[in-house]
Amino acid sequence: MFSVAAGRRTARRVSVDLGKEQAVMKKDRKMSGFLVLCLAPAVILFFIFMIVPTFNVFRISLYEKGAYTPDETFVGLANFKTLLTDASFIRSMQNMILLVVVVTIITFAFALVFAGILTREKLKGQNFFRVVFYIPNILSVVVISGIFSAIYKPENGMLNSIIGLFRDMTNPILWKGQSLVMVSIIIAMVWQAIGYYMVMYMASMASVPQSLYESAGLDGAGRLTQFFQITIPLIWTNIRTTLTFFIISTINMAFLFVKAMTSGGPNGASDVALNYMYSQKDAGLYGYSMAIGVVIFLFSFALSALVNKVTERETLEF
Amino acid sequence: MKKKLISMLLCSAMLVSLLAGCGSGGETPAADTQTDAETEAEAGTEAEGEAVSDVTIKVAAIETAYGSDMWKEVCEAFTAETGIQVELTTDKNLEDVIGPSMQGGDYPDVIHLATGREAALTEQFIKGNMIADITDVLSMTVPGEDALVSEKIAGGFTETSLTNPYGDGKTYLAPMFYSPCGLFYNAGLLEEKGWSVPTTWDEMWELGDKAMEEGIYLFTYPTTGYFDAFFYALMYSAGGPEFFNKATNYEEGIWETPEAQTCFDIVTKLASYTNPITPAQANDQDFTQNQQLVLDNKAIFMPNGTWIVEEMKDAPRAEGFEWGMTALPAVEEGGDRYSYTWFEQAWIPSGAANQDAAKQFIAFLYSDVACGIFAKAGAIQPVLNISDTLEGDNQMFYSIYDNGAKAAMGNFAAFDAIPGVEVRTVFFDPVNSLVSGDITEQDWIDGVIAGSDQMRANLK
Repeated sequence: MFSVAAGRRTARRVSVDLGKEQAVMKKDRKMSGFLVLCLAPAVILFFIFMIVPTFNVFRISLYEKGAYTPDETFVGLANFKTLLTDASFIRSMQNMILLVVVVTIITFAFALVFAGILTREKLKGQNFFRVVFYIPNILSVVVISGIFSAIYKPENGMLNSIIGLFRDMTNPILWKGQSLVMVSIIIAMVWQAIGYYMVMYMASMASVPQSLYESAGLDGAGRLTQFFQITIPLIWTNIRTTLTFFIISTINMAFLFVKAMTSGGPNGASDVALNYMYSQKDAGLYGYSMAIGVVIFLFSFALSALVNKVTERETLEF
Repeated sequence: MKKKLISMLLCSAMLVSLLAGCGSGGETPAADTQTDAETEAEAGTEAEGEAVSDVTIKVAAIETAYGSDMWKEVCEAFTAETGIQVELTTDKNLEDVIGPSMQGGDYPDVIHLATGREAALTEQFIKGNMIADITDVLSMTVPGEDALVSEKIAGGFTETSLTNPYGDGKTYLAPMFYSPCGLFYNAGLLEEKGWSVPTTWDEMWELGDKAMEEGIYLFTYPTTGYFDAFFYALMYSAGGPEFFNKATNYEEGIWETPEAQTCFDIVTKLASYTNPITPAQANDQDFTQNQQLVLDNKAIFMPNGTWIVEEMKDAPRAEGFEWGMTALPAVEEGGDRYSYTWFEQAWIPSGAANQDAAKQFIAFLYSDVACGIFAKAGAIQPVLNISDTLEGDNQMFYSIYDNGAKAAMGNFAAFDAIPGVEVRTVFFDPVNSLVSGDITEQDWIDGVIAGSDQMRANLK
């Protein structure tokens, strides 16, 4: 991710340079021909692999079509109308929104606090914690799901064994049962995400000048006040960017976790929208599942835009 | 001028890096094609040595508990017999391997993949009318033998909705590897406690109460998917073939009949006797944990098929454990007892290129040679008199029909895909919620009636 961001930054710098150059050489036709030639591969690839598939998702959502049948029937907005009355779809959207909201809030709170502690406080074994928190990010989601499935096992899982020390376990807690399954998925997702965002915030917190904290300390500001009045405002741009990342990635991650941990069960209690979309494709409703895809696409787009708007602040420089 | 030069350099750097990207991307497929070509060339040289034939058929088979070696052997035996080359693909997730190329219009000639899998690829082909009619295969001679295919296949197997999905008397799917399904249990435990295997549901509940006193639950199930075979047999024993046929064709009002009520009542009561941790593990990842409950004497019965022995062969088990299998108990004293006959299917996509050779291949699957190879791996072809040749646990399992149980066959009729409505989600998934107490029997019945109405309206 870091390398990608760095790459983008260089690309932006390059394009700025090119912009200035273009103004100078507007009349040079040869030059502009050369530019077209340079840009063509990128544009063509982007068009074929990004624009066309996205357009196809929207197009097929208006058709009734099986995944393997060549014939398709135009049905207009019928797929979307059915979606509004499909209880399973509504439940899967609710679950997805629940995950996006709860996982985001918990993850960000923990990541910020941990990052604050690890950068501001003098702790023994700081690097050790940094590595430990980051480890979940190296593991694949399937491995994490396996680990948590073992932890959540009703009879001899780690969690129930520990709780069993304090209470009678003749009726074990069913972490993957109907009433607790979403909580269990939330815990696994938070555990997986904290480390990555913590490291991100640590990087930007490290660049906040020490002198600000010193003078605030002289003015009598406590650690909490420093955290909320200095740290948070100064890394706000970073928080905003990661928030947008996170919302989009949670929608995808939710699918991976559900697929690998519960397959949406029991009785659909942990189904999320992307998993439902996948299952409808398997049921032979390609057009319908693409309609679900369109709804998720618009939803994540709108949510990101909304979050971006709501979190807009004047950028503070230091 | 200097600026111009720099910008030219920058641009060409971009172009080069882009092309480099293309280059590295392009390498892998090129390498793949090469290996493909090599395999084909190898296959070609082999062909020259043996009987000469320029036809090569593509066979795709799901790899299940039986393994994939038997398929390799059968394909080799087929080539030796007919001279037709076979390009074999086997995989545990066959849908993911052949699915994408089929979307592009490239079909294998023979596909061995049963209905009832999560990806439901076979069902999609049935719903889309994309399976070739193979009725004429039944009157073909088995390659290398004198018998007709229809003379070899055991009675009833080519008359069910699993092989004739449209009910038009034509066969589209060839019946493969059958397995009697029933309730599996630890025979050693019942013997040790002096309990007898229940023959009616009343005896079943009695046993349930007795076992509960010793802290053993009566029932568990791997996933709700295993209720299909269970529920089919239950419908047969509650109302006979007539009720079964009406119910599986979603006849109006069928779910309000006394027979249907009996089925719902039995499953609901069974849910109250089910080990309560079952639903939390009833998913594709943890289902073996539920099967383990039987091995550990934490539940007595579970619905399953004969493959369970192989599937759990390395699992730890209670002392004195011994597999037992029984048909479903009768609804009343002296009533019929049924065991569902589960079988897989092989079929030819109607888009396949070599249909005639593919039909020969399917005919060959019922030859003594092929049946022998399959049986070695534990896969039993539905041919006459095969149960005489079996050994060990399989002998006991496959003799279930000789011991008074009737065979139940068939499944819910195919219907055009309906958003959010599938057989499993409507009929069987709610059992998870019944066990956890999140819904009532009436909620379940209401859902079944509503789903069934939609299925009837969309019948093929």
